[in-house]
Amino acid sequence: MEITTTDMGLVARVQNLTKSYGRAAGEVVALRDVTLGIRRGEFTAIMGPSGSGKSTLMHIMAGLDSPTGGRVWLGDAEMGAMGDSQLTLLRRRRVGFVFQSFNLVPTLDVAGNILLPFELDGRRPTDQEQAWIAQLQQALGLESRLRHRPHELSGGQQQRVAIARALATRPELVFADEPTGNLDSRTGREVLGLLSTASREYGQSIAMVTHDPVAASYADRILFLADGIVVDDRPRQSAEEISRTMLAMESAA
Amino acid sequence: MSRLSGHGSSITVATLSAAFGVALLQVTGFLGALVSQDPAAGRSGSTLPLMLSILALVFIAISIYVGAIVTANTFSTIVAGRARTIALLRLIGDSAASQRRAIAREGLLVGIIGAALGVVIGTGFAIALDRVAVATDTIPDIDYSAGWLNPAVLIPLVAVVLTTWAASWIGSRRVLTVTPLQAIGGAQEAGREELVRRPARTVVAIVLFALGTGILLLGVAVGLVSPFGVLIGIFGGILSFSGLIAGAHLVMPPALRVVGRLFGSAPTARLAAENALRYPERSSRTTIGVVIGVTLITMFGVAIASFSDMIHAAQSASPEVYAGTDTVLTAIQAVFSVLVGFSALIAAVGLVNNLSLCVVQRTRELGLLRALGFSVRQLRTMITVESAQLTATAVLVGLVLGAFYGWCGAQSLLGSINGSPGIIVPDIPWVLLGVIVVAAAALTWVASLAPARRATRVAPVTALAVD
Repeated sequence: MEITTTDMGLVARVQNLTKSYGRAAGEVVALRDVTLGIRRGEFTAIMGPSGSGKSTLMHIMAGLDSPTGGRVWLGDAEMGAMGDSQLTLLRRRRVGFVFQSFNLVPTLDVAGNILLPFELDGRRPTDQEQAWIAQLQQALGLESRLRHRPHELSGGQQQRVAIARALATRPELVFADEPTGNLDSRTGREVLGLLSTASREYGQSIAMVTHDPVAASYADRILFLADGIVVDDRPRQSAEEISRTMLAMESAA
Repeated sequence: MSRLSGHGSSITVATLSAAFGVALLQVTGFLGALVSQDPAAGRSGSTLPLMLSILALVFIAISIYVGAIVTANTFSTIVAGRARTIALLRLIGDSAASQRRAIAREGLLVGIIGAALGVVIGTGFAIALDRVAVATDTIPDIDYSAGWLNPAVLIPLVAVVLTTWAASWIGSRRVLTVTPLQAIGGAQEAGREELVRRPARTVVAIVLFALGTGILLLGVAVGLVSPFGVLIGIFGGILSFSGLIAGAHLVMPPALRVVGRLFGSAPTARLAAENALRYPERSSRTTIGVVIGVTLITMFGVAIASFSDMIHAAQSASPEVYAGTDTVLTAIQAVFSVLVGFSALIAAVGLVNNLSLCVVQRTRELGLLRALGFSVRQLRTMITVESAQLTATAVLVGLVLGAFYGWCGAQSLLGSINGSPGIIVPDIPWVLLGVIVVAAAALTWVASLAPARRATRVAPVTALAVD
């Protein structure tokens, strides 16, 4: 019998994953035979310079893009076998997203954005979920802004709303794509602190793609990607150590 | 011609307006030629063609006006979509004014192409109609060339070119608000378009509407004693309707909001309702064209139905005076509905196009919704509801206005005739209403078809793209 993702203590994994764009002479390989797992309850950073394939990896793990070869699991469900409607349900119920920008639906207010994943399912949050959402709103300091629309909020506030929305359904895995890319450094640190708290206190599994060593230093584990392969896998490190690793990768290349 | 990409619908609108104008004047010319050949009509032979021409020009003016609104709207949407390119050109040193002039030049070109196509199509249609009528012995085979060499056809052509040009200039106003920074800034979506406060326009709209409605009601009152009430009524009606059009930005957003609530509170419906109101100015202009068409059709329908009610009431009092009026009235209603319906068709083209362009501009947002778990079906429903909200609002407002104006018309003209019952309840022609509602449903469906297909092709990954 095959060992399942859960048995390995993982929330998601990929095996021999390959992704290439274009054909023949113009072919660009984004990922080459990548095998890795994201551990349950951990805050994992996926680091790499531009063009390392980190975003592609995240898109495929989140069911937003399809692999050229290899297998992908979220929990024990293999995504290769899923059609568009199953992937839609998976995104709606089992993963959360925090993007670099344009995170929120501009026509909905803060409360509407946070509740959107439930409404898409055609249901109201249960009492337990209500309590959880209220707790999140308080922890993220959004209580006084529930009736505001995204354009009335600062970038940092918008990102907090996005985090609240991503955590609201208690998804198995939250994907964060350069979540601090559009924020000033102080606001960025706050957002990173919130993500790491979510993982430490609520046991939320988070996979964050970034090229910023400071952002990666908030993670429990750091995976380094370069030219479409995993080149290193480290436990928590300081921003200085991460920068050194990155520089070493540059000079090795 | 890459300069004309995106202008397909504006060219269609200009072509339709021009073809309509040309065909209508050509046909009027034929009728004139026909009448002057007829010795029996010899005496009235000179006034009838003139009156027909004047009536034709009124309908042409309506359709060109609606076409101009539609074109202005389309250009402002196109400019919104090109904001990034415009910003880039501004960044490397181009001025906003020269950008705007370039867009207005595109508008002029669109108008010229539309007029050229329109003259060919309109003349072709008129000649075909003439040949068919001669072949079926409906009219005698005489020389109608005096009809289709009617120099008046130049009027709609010039008008189409000029209004399209002016509309593109007005629609491109937004160019001035694009800043060079938008070329390099993060992809932060700009805030919702707030309703621009235009105190002067608002005051003019309210004054026109109040004054016009007052005069209109005066016309109804005078109509109780003299048929000349209708002249006062027409004047008042034109004023008050112009006020409504000028004040579309005050009337349409609340109407859209109310109709939007009727679609329920499911997330798809709520998002759709909000989307339809995101650009209130644009939505007002998109819908007002349809409102004008529906109002005019309903107005003639209600006027003629109420008219025949009164005639019937009078008929029972003195039957011999009013023999044979029924068929005439039905024919008049049919002709007027078709002529006015043409401007509704132009407005419909604008509505379809606008919805498509708005969806194209929302690609990233649609990607975000897909990433968050909107199914393809939910996305399609959202687009359809958006379209339904726009058409339903326009049709409802048009029906209410049309019923009111139509009733005023009938009342002020016939309130004083022999055996009139005085003030009557407006008679709603239900068949006509049914036709309008079915047409609106078809419009909703057609308008949502292309944008829904495009929306469902958006990959969820688009939301994550940095650019």
